[in-house]
Amino acid sequence: MSIVLNNITKHYGADLVLDDVSDEIPSGSLTALLGPSGSGKSTLLRIIAGLEPHDGGQVHLHGRDVTTVAARQRNIGFCFQDYAPFNQMSVFDNVAYGLKVRRVPAAQRRREVDDLLGLVRLSEFSDRYPRQLSGGQRQRMALARALAIKPDVLLLDEPFAALDAQVGAEMRVWVKSLQRELGITTILVTHNQSEAMEVADRLVILHRGRIEQVGPPEQVYDKPATDFVHGFLGPLTTWMGTSYRPHDLQLCDDGDGLSARVVDVVRLGFEVRVVVEREGATTWVQLTHHEARQFNPVVGSLVSISAR
Amino acid sequence: MRGRSWLLRTAVLAYVGALIALPLYFVFQRMLAHGFGAFARALGDHEMDSALWLTVRVALLAVPLNVIFGVGVSLWIVRHPSSLSRLIDTLVDLPLAVSPIVIGLSLELAYAQNGWLGRPLASWGLHLMFNYWAIVMASIYVSIPLVSRQVIPLLREVGTHQEQTAQTLGAGSVRIFFTVTMRSLTWATAYGVTLTLARVIGEYGAVLIVSGNVAYVTETLTLNIGNNFDNFSPDQGFVGAGLLALSSIFVLLVLGLARHRERLRHEYRP
Repeated sequence: MSIVLNNITKHYGADLVLDDVSDEIPSGSLTALLGPSGSGKSTLLRIIAGLEPHDGGQVHLHGRDVTTVAARQRNIGFCFQDYAPFNQMSVFDNVAYGLKVRRVPAAQRRREVDDLLGLVRLSEFSDRYPRQLSGGQRQRMALARALAIKPDVLLLDEPFAALDAQVGAEMRVWVKSLQRELGITTILVTHNQSEAMEVADRLVILHRGRIEQVGPPEQVYDKPATDFVHGFLGPLTTWMGTSYRPHDLQLCDDGDGLSARVVDVVRLGFEVRVVVEREGATTWVQLTHHEARQFNPVVGSLVSISAR
Repeated sequence: MRGRSWLLRTAVLAYVGALIALPLYFVFQRMLAHGFGAFARALGDHEMDSALWLTVRVALLAVPLNVIFGVGVSLWIVRHPSSLSRLIDTLVDLPLAVSPIVIGLSLELAYAQNGWLGRPLASWGLHLMFNYWAIVMASIYVSIPLVSRQVIPLLREVGTHQEQTAQTLGAGSVRIFFTVTMRSLTWATAYGVTLTLARVIGEYGAVLIVSGNVAYVTETLTLNIGNNFDNFSPDQGFVGAGLLALSSIFVLLVLGLARHRERLRHEYRP
């Protein structure tokens, strides 16, 4: 089930939010729409779902032009950032909603909902109400509800943003394996680079309503097509007039690099951030704890820096 | 802090007691002052029963109309904001600020047979003053904001994500309205209904002016109570007043119990 976007354009009043966006999302892939806030990524997701009108261009789902098809007829699974649980219904009724709409007979409905609740590990919570669940459980309920209608594509808007760090990390691993298991074409929207690179097998980088680059995470990270992508995917620092990733610089023996004075040393768990100054410009060198110990940089001392 | 909370509690209790509980107690005391036999006889008073029945009939029409209007206008104001809907938003609050007697007089000016609207309506055979319809109109007018004031803040808080999710699940707009929107608004609407009901059965000033206050015809329960005091039968008046107070307390109690049960199912259990 591929998704094809042809020249999508969208204005909010006079503001151009999506400028001629085209992409083909391969069947079975997990694509991340990645960009800073205001880049148009959530708007694009809502346009694919049919929840937002757009000004120009077409959306094709599996070869079918759905541009003028209402959201309710697109057979799409959509999860909002806040999961939008139906708070007045039990977990069971939440998941059963789409099946009821489709007039699935009660016995079959019960069977399918029970299977889904098992899949998202919420079987024992079937009689609870959404407000009685934790954030992660609520997200799994929303996923089960979206999957119940056997959607052709799954659209997730900032799925991990509302979770605390630890639960978010667990859910990322879980969602990725679930997507692989089901093989359902999935798009997720995120502003978080590391989240996108961890979960997705394909990145679409959006900036000011335009696609900057498309490709597998490693490729986009290693060969950024634009300055924006280069800066957005990871921190940059300048050394002798050239941009580097901080971990692409290193401390070395005196003869192998240029000297600089240590301004600050910050220990972040396993990593050590050494801030140095040379000729009035500061540079940030990222080392592992072991590397740092080897050279033992002390504030005020001189060290030698070279590119890896 | 402990000392201050004690002070606050005493102040609140004294305030509520002096203004609400104690005076209400005296109403019930007067209602039963001549024993249960006299109370039962007073309950059978034909004029009062006719007035009570009229109040019920007015409430049966005015309350549903205001609920439909209140929910509808709330959806419009929250979901389709425009300068016109903002004007309506302000205008809807007007009855809370205007004295009921002014409301009654303005309706009479507009709808009496020589009124600006009343004259053409009368030529069509429609008489809207000094009858049942006039009382319904005045009741609607005084209670117009009571549903929307409850519904609007909740509607803003709930947002549209649930409804849009229901759309992606294939639901049509009618189904979404009844299974998603109204279910979120159930309690706000119920509270609005309670307030509207209490206001409609308790309204005096506006109804006094537009009804004509004719016994057995346009005399509501509140008018009947007033008339009894004017006609030197305060005992009968206190029976009516007690009934009115009891019905309000009953409605609030039912709502409070239902809310409590509802709240239990939404408490987070880790």
